[in-house]
Amino acid sequence: MLRTVCLFIFMLFCIHGYAGKVPVPKPVVKIAVKPKAVLVTDTATITPRQFDTTALTAYKKLPEFVYRENYDGGPSLWTRFWRWFWSLFDFKDKRVTSNFFVFLKYFFIALGVAAIIFLVLKLAGINVLNTFRRNPKVAKLAYAESEENIHEIDFDTEIEKAVAVNNYRLAVRMLYLKSLKQLSDKGLIDWQLNKTNTTYINELTDNSQREAFKRLTNQFEYVWYGDFAINGDVFKTISLLFNNFKGGTA
Amino acid sequence: MENENFEQRTDLSKLSAAVDKIKTTLAQIIVGQQDVIELVIAGILADGHILIEGVPGVAKTLTAKLVAKAIDAKYSRIQFTPDLMPSDVLGTSVFNPKSTAFEFKQGPIFGNIILIDEINRAPAKTQSALFEVMEERQVTIDGQTYKMDEPFIVLATQNPVEQEGTYRLPEAQLDRFLFKIEIKYPSLEEEIAIVTQQHQQKTTEQLSHINAVLAGADIIALRKQVRELYVEPKILAFTAQIIHESRSNKSLFLGGSPRASLAIVNAAKAMAAIKGRDFVTPDDIISVAKPVLRHRIMLTPDKEMEGVTPDEVISQIIQKIEVPR
Repeated sequence: MLRTVCLFIFMLFCIHGYAGKVPVPKPVVKIAVKPKAVLVTDTATITPRQFDTTALTAYKKLPEFVYRENYDGGPSLWTRFWRWFWSLFDFKDKRVTSNFFVFLKYFFIALGVAAIIFLVLKLAGINVLNTFRRNPKVAKLAYAESEENIHEIDFDTEIEKAVAVNNYRLAVRMLYLKSLKQLSDKGLIDWQLNKTNTTYINELTDNSQREAFKRLTNQFEYVWYGDFAINGDVFKTISLLFNNFKGGTA
Repeated sequence: MENENFEQRTDLSKLSAAVDKIKTTLAQIIVGQQDVIELVIAGILADGHILIEGVPGVAKTLTAKLVAKAIDAKYSRIQFTPDLMPSDVLGTSVFNPKSTAFEFKQGPIFGNIILIDEINRAPAKTQSALFEVMEERQVTIDGQTYKMDEPFIVLATQNPVEQEGTYRLPEAQLDRFLFKIEIKYPSLEEEIAIVTQQHQQKTTEQLSHINAVLAGADIIALRKQVRELYVEPKILAFTAQIIHESRSNKSLFLGGSPRASLAIVNAAKAMAAIKGRDFVTPDDIISVAKPVLRHRIMLTPDKEMEGVTPDEVISQIIQKIEVPR
């Protein structure tokens, strides 16, 4: 092993020695020949040009060439406010610094008062955010029933009037409202304008009553909502059903 | 409901039979959820798109799949993921080297019944792709407009926005859904029935035996019938007043749009038809008001923080309005 290493080192020295003996060619030096300078005298006649004073005066009068700021009237109120506002934050001026702390003090007092008012209103159940909102316009629709109170209507007279002019549709409606009044008077239903017929049916606890009222409701719905044509004969049949009901069973 | 004193003006027997068939088919698999099924049928009859929301595992996708299976029409399903692109939904133009021309390859939206599962897992960019197709029933790509075949129904499911990895759907898109149906947890009895059914391995067997009970053409005919139902002017005014009140309600930041008014009337007609009537009553209007409005209205931030729900506000609005009688 040692012999191999020694041989390797010896060979390296041999190669280095051989490389040092390789002849290097000398560089060729080229001498640049400078051209002779040629001086040419400019003999042209120089005529200095003058500014056209008339044109200059005219230009000066143009607003585009007036660079001076126009301070007539001074800064606007808005600008002055913002200058004052930002001056509050100019901490280099000691006088201003004290002003700023005064401002800050009142600002926090106002904020505290506002927070207390908000809390009180919130606890009182008043929606503060909604207070400032525009009040919604309430659409009014001409519903006949809203002007009617079933407890104040003389149903028999109204039915007679409707039958007299062959307005059987209206007569059936009056019959139905009358039956609602009867149920309400007996405390079997809680009459409300926003309740549907099905709600009233479901409020009836007695099965036979419920079935009977369901049948009446069906008659009313076909005539009133379904716009089914009704003549005197059909009205008599329907009227009989309603008359038999009387807040009880048909 | 029939009336012995009046003859029906519209023959709703086919419609009633179709509704019964769908209900029976769905009841074979789905336990309970009768209100949900009725609303889904009403939505289909009213020519609307339906959004079904519920926490994971309440059979939202199953319900939508079964409804699609019960109708014999071209069905396709799109699983919405966060990396889904609009072209993945609508389709794209592909260069054909043989003809040296671009050819339009239709996306999965081209179908009759489209089930979009987990719709709120895709970002707004992809949701926007659905705007035109949901409202106008057409897709415009590269200046070319492609009309959708009728019936075109989007049944989408989503988790509530509070769930991880969900986005809030844009208001413009929510407004395009006729209903947002909320699926709640089943009752204890229903839960027992679900577990028993699964234990007896009935669900998987029954699912494979579900056949279509209604053709696409039937739906078109039934929809025409529903559109022609009678609505008393006072009931139209009642609907308008509900929507109008929603716009000025202090608990709401955003009220119902005119599209919401139309949706309520159309959905109420479908409800009336399901109940066998050819006219609408205030009960029909009230029964659809919540599913139509709950996704279209926006609560004010303070009400939202108080934990008030859109359904509560809708109830308050309805209670303020006098029922026409």
